[in-house]
Amino acid sequence: MRRLFLAAMAGLLCLSLQCARSQKLAWQSNTKADEHQLVQFLYPEQITVAADKPNVVELHFRVNDGLHINSHTPRAKSLIATRLMVEEPAGVNVASVDFPPGTDYSPAFSPQDKLSVYTGEFVLRAHVIAKPGDHLVQAALRYQACDANSCYPPKTAPVAVSVIAK
Amino acid sequence: MKRNHLVLILVIAALALMIWSGVDNYRRRKAEQEKIKAMQAAVLVPAAPAATGDTAAASEEEEKSPLEGKQAPPFTLETLQGQKISLASYKGKAVLVNFMATWCAPCKVETPWLIDLRKQYAPQGFEILGISTDDLDKDDKKLNAQDKAEIAKFVDNMHIDYPVLIDGDSISHPYGGIDALPSSFFVDRSGKIVAATVGLHDRSELEADIKKALASGGA
Repeated sequence: MRRLFLAAMAGLLCLSLQCARSQKLAWQSNTKADEHQLVQFLYPEQITVAADKPNVVELHFRVNDGLHINSHTPRAKSLIATRLMVEEPAGVNVASVDFPPGTDYSPAFSPQDKLSVYTGEFVLRAHVIAKPGDHLVQAALRYQACDANSCYPPKTAPVAVSVIAK
Repeated sequence: MKRNHLVLILVIAALALMIWSGVDNYRRRKAEQEKIKAMQAAVLVPAAPAATGDTAAASEEEEKSPLEGKQAPPFTLETLQGQKISLASYKGKAVLVNFMATWCAPCKVETPWLIDLRKQYAPQGFEILGISTDDLDKDDKKLNAQDKAEIAKFVDNMHIDYPVLIDGDSISHPYGGIDALPSSFFVDRSGKIVAATVGLHDRSELEADIKKALASGGA
């Protein structure tokens, strides 16, 4: 009986240790987020997917009014493309991410140029396979924004989605 | 008896750990919420980066840089060839300190104007220091060389004939934090900032500020 009690106590201790560790992982952020974001991650915060099957998770973002960011495939090599860097937790595989095509934009200061940009809301489609359980998928959207007269240094917007695979 | 003590210690340790993790969790959640609130407040404030096109330009013109009228923060940066250049060595000349980047489209528009204006006003004692804010990999020599090569290519393609200094981010803070490009500081012959602009401005405005810098701070 005592042995059983001791084993239960040891289990409780392990559980609490695991609990502390997992909480740290859930709240820590390895991605250095910039203070003044020009692009916001809108949703989803949480999503339920079919376990061990390919799923598509749509990630919605919004570019602040009056700004544009380069698309994933800007027309000039010198321009900084929008990218998504994903941190795959154990049990989650993000096979690929589809980016929407950019829309044409000609800046007022250079009307002959046609840039490929995102403005307003845009959606990325992540192809995800997850093992059964709850997972926190963290990612970072790298972008570079401009307005009609200025360009802003590249920034990184944090993304966090709780994936429940059943 | 000893076992009982061990069990008691284990229970207390487990409970303490659970309480600690709960408190820590709450503290982190609070900090995260504060951070999000601060970010939202920053976005809601119509600061230059979040403002729309025309209004952004207007507010930039209305807002005078706090550095105007003050001595230009001193700096020493390297050229792409590794030569060290200090702002102090240009004392007696009017200098345009122009923060730019290879990925900045408006910078490409104003660069030919800057080249022309430098040619025009150099005989009167005018110089431009282009300050590249492009990222430079500090850990990997190969990537660092690639980054420098990209800047060199830009300088070459744009036919820039004035000094272009690299690692501009390292002097961003004393210049008020360079939030937008191009950012220009017009320094007079005594080293004082007489005008500062953010974003693309007309060639005539650039010229007026160059004239202002040339006319001020002489012996």
